[in-house]
Amino acid sequence: MKKDFVTLTVNKREYTFSVGTAFGQLPPSETLVDTLRNRLGLTGTKSSCNEGACGCCTVIKDTYAVASCMTLTVDCDGSDIITIEGLEDPEKGLDPIQQAFIDEYSFQCGYCTPGIIMSAKALFMHNPHPTAEEIQEALSGNFCRCISHYTVLRALNKVAGNEDAELSEMHRAVDDISVEDRIPVRENKHPYNTSTWQACNEHSLAD
Amino acid sequence: MSAADKKMNYRDVVQPNYRHVGKYTPRIDAKDIVTGHATYLDDFNVPGQLYGKTLRSPYPHAKILSIDATKAEALPGVRAVVTYKNVPEQWGLGLPVHRHLLEDEVWCVGDVVALVAADTLEIAEEALDLIDVEYKKLPAVFNAEDALKEGAPQLYKRFPGNHVDNGIKYFQPDGPWWQIRRGDPEAAFAECAYVAEDRVEFDKMPSPAAPETPSAIAKWTGGTDYTLWASSQSSHILKLMAEGRIDHSNFDVRTFNVGGSYGNKQSLMTTVLSACMLSRVTSKPVKVVMTKEEQLTCYEVRLGSIMNAKIGITKDGIVNAIKGKWLVDTGSIADSIQGQVGVGLGEAQLVCAKCANWDMDSEIAVTNRQAAGIVRGYGGQELNSCLERLMATAMKEGNLNPLDVFKKNYVAPGDRFQWRDGRWWQSRSSMFFPEAMQGAADRFDWDKKWVGWNKPYWVSPNGKKARGVGMGVIGNADINEDNTECICRIIPDLVGKPRASKTVIEMDVTESGMGTRSNVVKQVAEILNVPVETVYITDPGSKYNPSNYGLCGSRGTITTGKAATLAAMECKQKALELAATHFHRSIDQMETKDYMVYVRDTPELMVPMFKLCDKELSICGYGKHLELFNIPSCIAVFVDVEVDLETGRQRLLHIGAGTDIGQILDPKAVEMQLHGGIGSACVDTASMEECLQDPITGRLVTASMLEYKMRTFNEFPTYDAYVMESQIDTYVFKALGIGEVSGAALGGAVLMAISNATGKDIKTYPATPGVILSAIGKA
Repeated sequence: MKKDFVTLTVNKREYTFSVGTAFGQLPPSETLVDTLRNRLGLTGTKSSCNEGACGCCTVIKDTYAVASCMTLTVDCDGSDIITIEGLEDPEKGLDPIQQAFIDEYSFQCGYCTPGIIMSAKALFMHNPHPTAEEIQEALSGNFCRCISHYTVLRALNKVAGNEDAELSEMHRAVDDISVEDRIPVRENKHPYNTSTWQACNEHSLAD
Repeated sequence: MSAADKKMNYRDVVQPNYRHVGKYTPRIDAKDIVTGHATYLDDFNVPGQLYGKTLRSPYPHAKILSIDATKAEALPGVRAVVTYKNVPEQWGLGLPVHRHLLEDEVWCVGDVVALVAADTLEIAEEALDLIDVEYKKLPAVFNAEDALKEGAPQLYKRFPGNHVDNGIKYFQPDGPWWQIRRGDPEAAFAECAYVAEDRVEFDKMPSPAAPETPSAIAKWTGGTDYTLWASSQSSHILKLMAEGRIDHSNFDVRTFNVGGSYGNKQSLMTTVLSACMLSRVTSKPVKVVMTKEEQLTCYEVRLGSIMNAKIGITKDGIVNAIKGKWLVDTGSIADSIQGQVGVGLGEAQLVCAKCANWDMDSEIAVTNRQAAGIVRGYGGQELNSCLERLMATAMKEGNLNPLDVFKKNYVAPGDRFQWRDGRWWQSRSSMFFPEAMQGAADRFDWDKKWVGWNKPYWVSPNGKKARGVGMGVIGNADINEDNTECICRIIPDLVGKPRASKTVIEMDVTESGMGTRSNVVKQVAEILNVPVETVYITDPGSKYNPSNYGLCGSRGTITTGKAATLAAMECKQKALELAATHFHRSIDQMETKDYMVYVRDTPELMVPMFKLCDKELSICGYGKHLELFNIPSCIAVFVDVEVDLETGRQRLLHIGAGTDIGQILDPKAVEMQLHGGIGSACVDTASMEECLQDPITGRLVTASMLEYKMRTFNEFPTYDAYVMESQIDTYVFKALGIGEVSGAALGGAVLMAISNATGKDIKTYPATPGVILSAIGKA
């Protein structure tokens, strides 16, 4: 069915596009990733493989994770789209997944991170307490070459409440030395009475 | 007291107690990354920019008989079509330069035939189809051995016999160096208890395949100046390489967050020169973003590597004689590959540091495969993947436990080696490397799982599955390479209540995933004893920042750390001097915290730094790092692999790693640098990663993310690392870099484990089900 207009909601804001091939119109062949990036300036969604294989362009369409490079915008009429930019709540702050990604350092270059977060968010929308295996399965379409997998899973298992799910451990040899055996390091003796410091540090144009 | 009693014990190392260093600090770009606000090259546009596309060769080697761009030029929106016929200036590719960007000949599938600039990407793509090209196919050669044979197709006049020059001046100022020659290997073999000779091929030239494709925006507006925005991890290297190819040019290179590089996105020469050429002919900014297919088809991959060698080990387990040849396939462009070969040969000596008898030759050949370039490990992984399989052959002769052999042979303080510059260096690195190997082995249960060569430690009751273990060791002396400088300024706010100060680090550091920008900030905050959030680092770029070679290899930790901390120390010293004068005390009595200076024993005597500065001016410090090659790193890796003896499928169950990295700057960052050895064409070059070429057409059959196999989230093994911090004498924080080599010995370790699981020697990368089934006689 030929459509003259397409209306979709992106990050709670509604957009209507005129469909056609004239300058500025939305061509029927345009993919959602191009609409998000080039028309709406939502560049957090990455365009990488453009064949639905890498997961970098993942967004949430009507509560499900989709590859926006394989989704035509004209097929999104009436859809509710959430991108990485729409996860942070202006009042409540970061989504718990985003916060967990910061707390657990769940990225390296960060290029695949928006896609990973959106895939995870879609999973959590349907299943707030997925098992460790369910999380890994849900992310199996998201590739990362820096290898943030272990810390991503650590963050998501924390959000899901999977306390014991841990795939990686880094053991510091110094922890094997008992505290009594360690050579003591002199503590820095800093004056911590910062109130007097502040008084001393106050300064304004009136000075 | 005996000498053994005097040996330093790990518990004797004073472990400092820092305010920031050694503790996790969220990266300065963390919030931008998780909210999608971090900027990468493709997220950035320049007003008025055009879009560039490349017409690429469908043949591995061909002459262009005719090329007609008339129809393409007539397409509305097309601003320029550049071919070898109308190119205004010839710019060289390779180092030494051996070809031009656009010629009437192409040397690999995907080679540049024509460049198009248009108003939109779609128009540029459409124009490519309108260029008529008539090719004459020429004979092609797809591996280094064939390329060096007499009668092989000749690729470049610059390289007679397809042989690339031995050594290169840029890396070897005293003269070419490409062989390790010393002692008398033949005589030493006669004295060795165990001698074996074999051949190993690591020649599928796998792709690091960074998620963000190579891309650049070039802007030329007349004269000599080019502004270049690029997805490069090193603006400095890009500038150096580009200015060397375009006469009288001056590059202002700017970078963003880089979406993965692994050493692979530095000079981006073909992409950058293509964008520059299109900007040159249109006088407009031109954006060129490679597609994933282009990246996989014709962007730089790992070196092809074949090694034939004879290795002799004494009855005590010391490798004491090596004779062999390392053959390197650089594909269709040879861009300073000699540096990588130099590093590979250097790393061979780190692993076999007690060997006094060497005759190891190397040779590099050009072929009609896609160009090889720099990839994490810089020649070291390609070398190690071959050498350690060959060492295993000799170890197997003597039924030696590889853990014992690696512990005895790895470079120790005082051992000497020749590095990639051809000069001799003496290690002053950690004495605890053998202890780190043993610590990781203990956590891995190596003693229980190592049951001898080609023996599985576990077989399923039905006999269908078997498990074996393997290990490898690698290290790199390049972690101090190249020079870096830094300016650090303590800047008082003009007004404020309370009045605040901040610190600005002027340094050219691009963030490509390692967290180096944040580590620099953290270390400066530690020196100045101020909150991390009051320290800032300038945007990366070559024009206004002090010089920094870039984050190639594992150099980031020491070089940026040293330059930045020296600059911060000079700042601090100046503040202390000013305060000493202020309080009429000696400098020794002064201490700083949070931009205040106080008298250590009388802390109520304090003064804010802004009152010490000249009115409204800052306190400045300068620091620099100069290149050295005498502190090698080291990592031992252990793998546990299960092989399905019916299907030939292998599963990586567990990875263990042991290292001494001097001092942890950030524990979470270190852990991920270790994990990184699983990605970027490291461990899986032994199981699934390969660039497969159709032998008839020369085209890649793995040119998409669906065909090029990578490890997915649900296939990850457990990972356990044992990390020592022995305070190695690198710079004030005693840290060293490890990321580059964290996975470089994993390939050899996996093949060792598969050999042990199957009972058959496997020396083919990657060990796909087909390789395994044919080895066990089931194919």
